[in-house]
Amino acid sequence: MAISDFKLRNEGTYLGFIWYLLNPILLFIILLLIFQDRLGSGIESYGLYLLMGIIMFNFFQKTSLASTKSILNNASIIKSIKFQRKSIIISVVIQNILEHIFEIIIFTFVMVLYNQSPLGMIFYPLIFIVFIVFTYGVSLILASLTMYFHDIHNMWNFLLKLLWFATPIFYGFGGQTKLLIFNLINPLYYFIKLSRDIVIYNTMPPPHTIFITIGLALISLLIGIVVYDKLEKRFAEML
Amino acid sequence: MINNLIVENVSKRFIVGSRSEKSVLSKLHFFIFRREKKRYFWVLKNISFSVKPGEMIGIIGKNGSGKSTLIRTIAGIYSQDKGTIKVNGNIACLAGHNNGFKNRLTMKDNIHLVCSLYGLNPKDIGRYFTSIVEFSELRGYENTKLYKFSTGMMTRLSFSIMLHSIKKINPKVLLLDEVFSAGDLQFKLKCLDIIKQLLKKNVSILIVSHHLKTISYHCSRAILMDKGEIIKNDKTKKVLDWYLKKEKLTIDGKRIKK
Repeated sequence: MAISDFKLRNEGTYLGFIWYLLNPILLFIILLLIFQDRLGSGIESYGLYLLMGIIMFNFFQKTSLASTKSILNNASIIKSIKFQRKSIIISVVIQNILEHIFEIIIFTFVMVLYNQSPLGMIFYPLIFIVFIVFTYGVSLILASLTMYFHDIHNMWNFLLKLLWFATPIFYGFGGQTKLLIFNLINPLYYFIKLSRDIVIYNTMPPPHTIFITIGLALISLLIGIVVYDKLEKRFAEML
Repeated sequence: MINNLIVENVSKRFIVGSRSEKSVLSKLHFFIFRREKKRYFWVLKNISFSVKPGEMIGIIGKNGSGKSTLIRTIAGIYSQDKGTIKVNGNIACLAGHNNGFKNRLTMKDNIHLVCSLYGLNPKDIGRYFTSIVEFSELRGYENTKLYKFSTGMMTRLSFSIMLHSIKKINPKVLLLDEVFSAGDLQFKLKCLDIIKQLLKKNVSILIVSHHLKTISYHCSRAILMDKGEIIKNDKTKKVLDWYLKKEKLTIDGKRIKK
């Protein structure tokens, strides 16, 4: 079944990776130009801080959003062949992982530009794996729910926008307690903070952050699998 | 002899008629005001039959009598609400002519995609690839995107892919849903030859078709369905005669004049 994922992924490759990369890079450049001297002035190596936030959020956003539509898009396959339908969602995740790898390479370049040793990147894959598990769980939930509620795609799109502003991606907290309290329940915050601490600032984060991220990943995976298994039976007839 | 397929009391229902189907807001509205009741439509009602090895069974009936649903339920694409389906081995299914193809991909990619969904590994696909193209008579179109294909070409391709995947899957039961509706006569005969070989290897075949002649020539038994129930399950000739008499038709599709 893993092979079929790769074949499904083929669809996107014709567009070329360039287009996928353009979006986060342009966003990065614009935000950097606007905020470097204002919001980012108090943050050490703001460029890297910003880029890390953008690429991680981008991965989560694209994967989860694509998964909401993925099962509807493959209606004809589901209606005619019996196979592990999870592989459709896995293929979405794999495709986005490949794109993310390109973003990571760019990030490493930017690190060198900032005269920082890219050694911290060695730990990034570890965090990223946990992040993938988390994203996969969320995608499973969204994909199965979309079969029953067709407007999940629109709602999620909207929620992601809110999340984009609520998560400290292009700004730091700077003593805003309300925002900090909100972000304590924002899963993305932990993942982004963890990778920034380790990769950019080379500091050991408090151990509870690590446990929280792993816990979040496992919880999301568990809920994802339970929801998916419960709803999967009726997928074919809902299409 | 052990039966290849046993279907026992299978029932299947679809939910129909509620306007508040597909969005969160309308479901919420439905939940609060509850104006409509959920209506169920039983597509299959207490279907039971069994299939012996090497037997070819034709399923006939009007549109909406539940033939395709039955095939999909047996294939495991739909899940039944009641009853059990026992299969003694693997199952292969070909439903319709658009067999999970992606119109925006080339034929080559589609072959790879569908074959891997059938559970073939890349090595097998590479081995069968030329033979699949050869059999479907689509040589030279390997890099053409599928939306440029005609329905007949798609039918040939999907049939060819399935026949080749069968070599790997080794199914005991083969389900065919309206597969000959768009292919030409020569291709149909070629497929029927292969089907006969499969029958000799003790594979059971279930075929849904509106083409009564095909069924009368090739099937040993026929099942007549109407409104989700099995009306007749007997020797092909008996079932067809009964059906044609009831509908006042001849096997060529003409009305009997009085």
